[in-house]
Amino acid sequence: MTAAVIDAQNLRKSYGREHVALDGISFRVGAGRIVGLMGPNGAGKTTALKAILGLTPFEGTLQVLGRDPRRERDALMQEVCFIADVAVLPKWLRVSQAVDYVAGVHPRFDRARALAVLAKTEIRSRSKIGELSKGMITQLHLALIMAIDARLLVLDEPTLGLDLLYRRAFYETLLNDYFDHERTILVTTHQVEEVENLLTDLLLINHGKIVLDSSIEALPERFTQLLTTATHREAARRLQPLHEREVFGRHIFIFEGQDPAALAALGELRTPSVADLFVAKMTGSAS
Amino acid sequence: MSLHMFLTLLKRESWEHRSLVWLPLLTAALIVVTALISTHVAGSIRISLDGGERDFFATLSLDPQAQAQLFGVWMGALVAPIMLVATVVLFFYLLDALYVERKDRSILFWKSLPVSDAATVISKAVTALIAVPIWVWLLSLVTGLLTFVIVAIKVSGTPMAPLGNFHIAAWGVLQLTLLQNLLIAALWYAPLAAWLLLVSVWARRAPFLWAVLPPALLALFEEITFGSAQVFKFIGYRLVGFFDAVGPGLVRGDTDEADLASILQSIRDAYEGMSAISLLGTPDLYLGVLAAAALLALAIRLRRWRDDA
Repeated sequence: MTAAVIDAQNLRKSYGREHVALDGISFRVGAGRIVGLMGPNGAGKTTALKAILGLTPFEGTLQVLGRDPRRERDALMQEVCFIADVAVLPKWLRVSQAVDYVAGVHPRFDRARALAVLAKTEIRSRSKIGELSKGMITQLHLALIMAIDARLLVLDEPTLGLDLLYRRAFYETLLNDYFDHERTILVTTHQVEEVENLLTDLLLINHGKIVLDSSIEALPERFTQLLTTATHREAARRLQPLHEREVFGRHIFIFEGQDPAALAALGELRTPSVADLFVAKMTGSAS
Repeated sequence: MSLHMFLTLLKRESWEHRSLVWLPLLTAALIVVTALISTHVAGSIRISLDGGERDFFATLSLDPQAQAQLFGVWMGALVAPIMLVATVVLFFYLLDALYVERKDRSILFWKSLPVSDAATVISKAVTALIAVPIWVWLLSLVTGLLTFVIVAIKVSGTPMAPLGNFHIAAWGVLQLTLLQNLLIAALWYAPLAAWLLLVSVWARRAPFLWAVLPPALLALFEEITFGSAQVFKFIGYRLVGFFDAVGPGLVRGDTDEADLASILQSIRDAYEGMSAISLLGTPDLYLGVLAAAALLALAIRLRRWRDDA
């Protein structure tokens, strides 16, 4: 395996005595992956991202592109981009000034590329950010980021508050025009359905702990969804399902590490969606 | 950190805080307009010249050195209103500089780019202590030339005609002196600017109160407890110490009652005392710079690790 883009060992962070945001998590992210870091509110996602970006102190060992974000943040940010969410571009800044500023401070910024992306939008360069819609601000931010030759892109709820058209367009642009199988993307979002088709890896986090760390390809081997009727309900329960729910009289179970052959007799088998797994893991680990 | 990058950071400040550019410019424009308007009342000024002033200008017309000194003094005085306005704007600028970015969360955007916290904080201090003063100096230079042309036209053919002579050597010395004074003022006021930046990066709300109240309360506490005013005196010293060094006041209003010789003497004093260079011999200047460095280092550290966005 090539050197990990992110290598986190036993990250710990607490706010005050009560609230433990990261409870000793460890994970690796390889180059060229698109990793979804997901969890409920307060699970520790944003804290993990802040640790990776060197924005917050923490305990443990963390290497991002071979650097410690606590000590080498300034060098690290040459190769890492992030979009926190749509609301962080300052309202007083003009579009042309935003381009000038990034061009002035970022040695890996390609102004022509940013302008080419912006030309495809309705954003006018004289406009102030305060005059743009949320969707347009996201387009602008994405245009800036896409023109930076970075190795790691971190997205924290990048499409929060956008309508469906902008959300779709955001991820399509990202995938078609930005991602090139060498860059790495780490994304947190609540809108699981929208990103599940573009992820290569999944990191589920809850109460400051990793509850699932898997590539998307490995999911079918590991998880099985069983659709069955009340008749087989008890038999299914005896096989220790991860999660159970009932929809229109159908009983839907999710199993982890269970032999599909043992389940096949009980009903119809599928691979659970990321959203199903998310719910199964979160309600499971909460109890 | 290249020069180009640092200049981008300074440009950024002028985009966000446009009043740093416009209000000094507006003040300079007002000075020129005032001079223009008063041109129309030149007749009434001529009439109001009494015997004493007539003697004064008569003497002046025979004394090129005194002429040059008066020229330097009134032209140098033009920087004062522009700098005063800039100072007020700068005070609020420094309090906002590292506070608003946290309030509107744009700090997450600024921090997503490879600009160190040190570069950011220093760019704001340099804006306040060097960039804006140089802008004020340029404005005063242009204002001085425009005002001179207006005054020269206004006084030609009157007993005040000596005011219309341009003294190129005095002008050159004046500009260098003003520029030098602005840089010395930057050193003198560096701890004040650094204190405001520190409050700006630290305060969760109401940076103005945090900047002003603690020193004020400390002074009050001392007054009540010990009956002394050391804190108050110290604050006053750091606020006006620079102007004490600029020698006798530039503006003398009591020309009516003084005799001719003492008027000329006070002009000479004002002209010769205009340089603040004596301040460079004060250890307090360097102690202040050290304090500023410590406060800025603290501000940089706080911005680096502050986590409340």
